[in-house]
Amino acid sequence: MIEVRNLTKHYRVHKRPPGLAAAVKSLFKREYTTVKAVDGITFAIKPGERVGFLGPNGAGKTTTLKTLAGLLHPSSGEVRVDGHVPQKREAEYLKKIMLVMGQKQQLLWDLPPAETFELNRAIYDVPRPDFVRRMKELSELLELGDLVNKPTRQLSLGERMKCELAAALVHGPKVLFLDEPTIGLDVSMQVVMRDFIRRYNETTGATLILTSHYMDDVAALCPRVIVIDKGTLSFDGALDVLVKQVRPDKRVTLRFSQPVTLEQVTPLGQVVRCEGAQAVLQVSHDQVNAVVGRALASLPVVDLNVENPPLEEVMSELFSRSRATREQAA
Amino acid sequence: MRRYLTLLGLQLRTSGLLAAQYRWDFLVDGVVSLFFMATAIVPLFVVYGDGSRAGIPGWSFGEALVVTGWFILLQGVLDGAVNPGLQAVIEHIRKGTLDFVLLKPADAQFLVSTSKFHVWRVTSVVAGLVVFAVAFDRIGHGPRLVDVAASGVLLVSATLLLYSLWILIVSAAFFVVKVDNLTYLFSSIFDAARWPSSVFPKVVRWVFTFVLPLTLMTTFPAEAMLGRLAPQALLGALVGTAVFAAVARVVWLRAIGHYTSAGG
Repeated sequence: MIEVRNLTKHYRVHKRPPGLAAAVKSLFKREYTTVKAVDGITFAIKPGERVGFLGPNGAGKTTTLKTLAGLLHPSSGEVRVDGHVPQKREAEYLKKIMLVMGQKQQLLWDLPPAETFELNRAIYDVPRPDFVRRMKELSELLELGDLVNKPTRQLSLGERMKCELAAALVHGPKVLFLDEPTIGLDVSMQVVMRDFIRRYNETTGATLILTSHYMDDVAALCPRVIVIDKGTLSFDGALDVLVKQVRPDKRVTLRFSQPVTLEQVTPLGQVVRCEGAQAVLQVSHDQVNAVVGRALASLPVVDLNVENPPLEEVMSELFSRSRATREQAA
Repeated sequence: MRRYLTLLGLQLRTSGLLAAQYRWDFLVDGVVSLFFMATAIVPLFVVYGDGSRAGIPGWSFGEALVVTGWFILLQGVLDGAVNPGLQAVIEHIRKGTLDFVLLKPADAQFLVSTSKFHVWRVTSVVAGLVVFAVAFDRIGHGPRLVDVAASGVLLVSATLLLYSLWILIVSAAFFVVKVDNLTYLFSSIFDAARWPSSVFPKVVRWVFTFVLPLTLMTTFPAEAMLGRLAPQALLGALVGTAVFAAVARVVWLRAIGHYTSAGG
């Protein structure tokens, strides 16, 4: 469905040191520097896959997404989506895709979302019966109800985002580009959005690429992740493989019937936290059974939980490692 | 073509809905139009006095009033139909929301140009028509039907010219961050269109005919309405407009290629 080969996107930007003298000098003589927003990434995505783009701010995720959507022209390399070259922005291609950006909106601000839906229906040339059926489905799935008839400016952020999604899906796209769709939403609304996106993918078989800073979004939606850092691809594979690769340790959470001391817990493994009647240990994968056995035998354990370290920590470690590698190379 | 007409209808409907939402705008725009009409006409009274002064050579007071009528009418077209959509583009480019326009499977220039109409500015068009009525009353006879038809054709051509000039200005927004000064500059220059072109020195007249074709926007339609525009001039105006529109289209398409969006 999506093929990207050696994609690069470089920008030439004006570089100026601070100060008035430099500002005046730059009026006559300018120095430019090349910013490598995307620097030679290659990947392929099969139809119906859900893939998460991960990376720190400025990593090149949104640039890649916008290049796939045809908004930006690559500096070099090849991009094909469902047989189309995105940058040509052929009508046939644009009818197959959608892009939702959590920080930008397409809804008409002073009018109800229903007006944007109707306008999009005409722009995408969606036959009326298809439009009515799809809007009914979207309305049920997203629980839009009467929201579509209230002026957009009167909607809450979460309500607006649901309507944004509906507006972007009026034409039934096959490829979904989602750029931080849950940004700023409260936890319950994030769950609603995730559920909807997953269901849409499962029922329509649409391909989905998601960028998000909320690791829960990625964990809930994307079996596969592509990690981009400083414009280069640093990982492409299953999320659990990434976790094992970066943090092979497991997190063992122990709850006790009475408070325990740090000294009692320390012999079991590396202590992440020990507060009152709860302790969290970091234990290597092959040691989990032994540590759990020792804990049950020596401490008043009433409950225990074994899980991967939080994804935020995994990503943070991954990014700091690659930063360190770059600094070493420099 | 039919699809684009449907889209135009829908965009007009959307603007109509917005206008209905802010219905007091009608009153404000009505007052603004009256004020604008007055400020456009007063200079003519200064120039012509009570009829004792010579005024502009070759133009009687009534005839000069026809030019003013065109100026008021075109200002209404500019503020009501051309400006709102294209001003919004500048904002779209700055915020990066032009993404949504470029992602649509329809011509981006069409979508942005028709995205917003200031419906209540129709009051300026009505004001222009009132000025025409007064002008022809002063002249002593009404325009011939054929002359009205010719000026109607020139109205379309003038609107297209105005639109093309705006497209050129808006295209600059893809390369420079602030084009507000350019829009103010254009508005100030457009003010000169209230006068028959013969008031200007030869060089300025040439500039206003071939570079910034203000003459084609108000003086030519007025002359056509008065039945004294040579057919060659009419033809020249139409060809010139077509060339201008084509240049604006090419510049717009190139400018879009430079769109870099805004960070997410």
